Amino acid sequence: MGMTAVEKVLAAKSGKTSVRPGDVVYPDPDFIMIHDGVVMGAKRELDQLGITRLATPEKVVMVTDHDVIYGSARAAERGAFNRKAAAQWGVGKFFDVGRGGHGHIFPMESGMLLPGMFYFDNDRHATNAGAIGAFGFRIGAEISRVLATGTNWIMVPKTVRLTLKGQLQPGVHARDVGFHFAALLKQGGLAADLDYRVLEYAGDLEQFDLASRAALCSTPTEIRAYGVFVPPSKAILAHATAHAQHAFTPVYSDPDARYDADLMLDISRLEPQVSLPGSVENAVDISQVAGTVIDHAFIGSCGSGMWEDLVTTAGILKGRRLASNVRLFIAPGSETTNRRLAAEGLLQIFIEAGAVMLPPGCGPCNDAVIGPVHSGEVSISTATNNNAGRFGARDAKLYLGSPATVAASAIAGKIADARKLQGLPGNRS
Amino acid sequence: MSEFSWILKGRCYKLGHDVPHAGGVVPNRIIIGRHFDAKDIIPHLFEETDPGFHTRCQPGDIIVTGQNFGMGPKMNGYIAMRALGLGLVCESMPFLAYRAAIGCGLLTMTDCVNATEMCDTGDELEINFRDGFFINHTRDIRREYPPIPDTLLEIVELGGNTGWLRQWQSNRHKETAS
Repeated sequence: MGMTAVEKVLAAKSGKTSVRPGDVVYPDPDFIMIHDGVVMGAKRELDQLGITRLATPEKVVMVTDHDVIYGSARAAERGAFNRKAAAQWGVGKFFDVGRGGHGHIFPMESGMLLPGMFYFDNDRHATNAGAIGAFGFRIGAEISRVLATGTNWIMVPKTVRLTLKGQLQPGVHARDVGFHFAALLKQGGLAADLDYRVLEYAGDLEQFDLASRAALCSTPTEIRAYGVFVPPSKAILAHATAHAQHAFTPVYSDPDARYDADLMLDISRLEPQVSLPGSVENAVDISQVAGTVIDHAFIGSCGSGMWEDLVTTAGILKGRRLASNVRLFIAPGSETTNRRLAAEGLLQIFIEAGAVMLPPGCGPCNDAVIGPVHSGEVSISTATNNNAGRFGARDAKLYLGSPATVAASAIAGKIADARKLQGLPGNRS
Repeated sequence: MSEFSWILKGRCYKLGHDVPHAGGVVPNRIIIGRHFDAKDIIPHLFEETDPGFHTRCQPGDIIVTGQNFGMGPKMNGYIAMRALGLGLVCESMPFLAYRAAIGCGLLTMTDCVNATEMCDTGDELEINFRDGFFINHTRDIRREYPPIPDTLLEIVELGGNTGWLRQWQSNRHKETAS
């Protein structure tokens, strides 16, 4: 019996020839990620225990993406604490304010995270690693044990395979695939339990670039997938090779690997999707909600903050102005992307359209520490989820869409299908 | 492992299906406020559904829930439950919710099929979390459920992730001293 990709990676990192779902292993990670919001808790816990030295400080990647510009005195205090912690711990890779960007984006862009790798993360959106053919596993507050000892227990998850069939139509985005998939699972159109599973994509994947693969990783995470895996294509391997900071070996599932469920989804006739307030699972064709007046829009997050997402956004905003009733926030995923936006003129397009640029990071998607909504307001965004209160006021109505849908809606002042805006070029998939 | 008791005897506190951590177990403000000190969380346990719960529960009481308990991989509520000496028996939990409970050192059993049909609030229960035995003395019902896996017993016995680390650090000191 063969192994799935996650089983192969966990076996290799745990010094075993094979593992099966349910096995408990202690993998040796390629690196350990911790974000700015939880360093304080971990440091204080370890200090109180007298643990002042980390097992593998050279492997620790400390990122600053959840509260980048310090909208409160508490955030500034946390930033100062984190800086001191990084120095005391001797952290090998400390990405302070204005360095790196979103921890689930810039490591893939920069060649730190490569196909076949495994890392521990305190944050569940580590699933983004699947975009490049790697695995990042969320371990929450137990990251303290990883920092102290170098590892922690992982129960090998089962794998669900989702085969995508067909090519997306112009103007339809990978985020739309995720929204639709979540809705199908909720409605019973597809049957699988994603809780603590790795969702492995298969099928017609060549059409998806790295940004689209990150988008494919986003929504399954919100419906409890523990990992997402997109087998790396030649283009992805070429990107990884061009940027690699380390040697790497891509991993693929064996042909006779065992899957917990095997699903098929025809995406050739998919329409742009909008998830109605309350859950990513509430996705409908955009035609059902087009015309809903909005107040607030946001483009960014680990699901939609890469260069290609912002190229799509710029294609819609170019030469246009936001509707007078809308404020639009854009958070690029990385400092590298930010510089490229400036160098290639996209930043100018965003500013002239009236958008507000946020620093690379999570933006409002982290508990609305920046750019929140008020009671009763309506928002459409590319955030990872639209649970009540995600952007602040619990009675605000939060819709989700692709970058194209959000940009078109910000121009129209109401939820709008980007394909119907006059004079638009065809959008990438 | 001799001093640690894997058995709880107490009253049942029954909950239904799909209880989220945020709102259902503790108010969301406790979660986003990153409150991890038991004394700060205890007054808010089940606050939105049963205010004052913490004043009525007693050590040994067992929370028995339906399916999908504790949605959202948060630990705040489990910290309070453990500090109050409670146990948790669920028909099912999202795996990361279960991991959070174990990581807090809470006596927890999940995948206990139809457990809510075996008891009602106020029943006298006796649960052995190491062997998986579920006894309802009030109704004279006995069931056997999946216990805490052997690989995770040490974490629970030592009081969760922090307790495990304390022991690990202590062992390192002993090794250095010897």
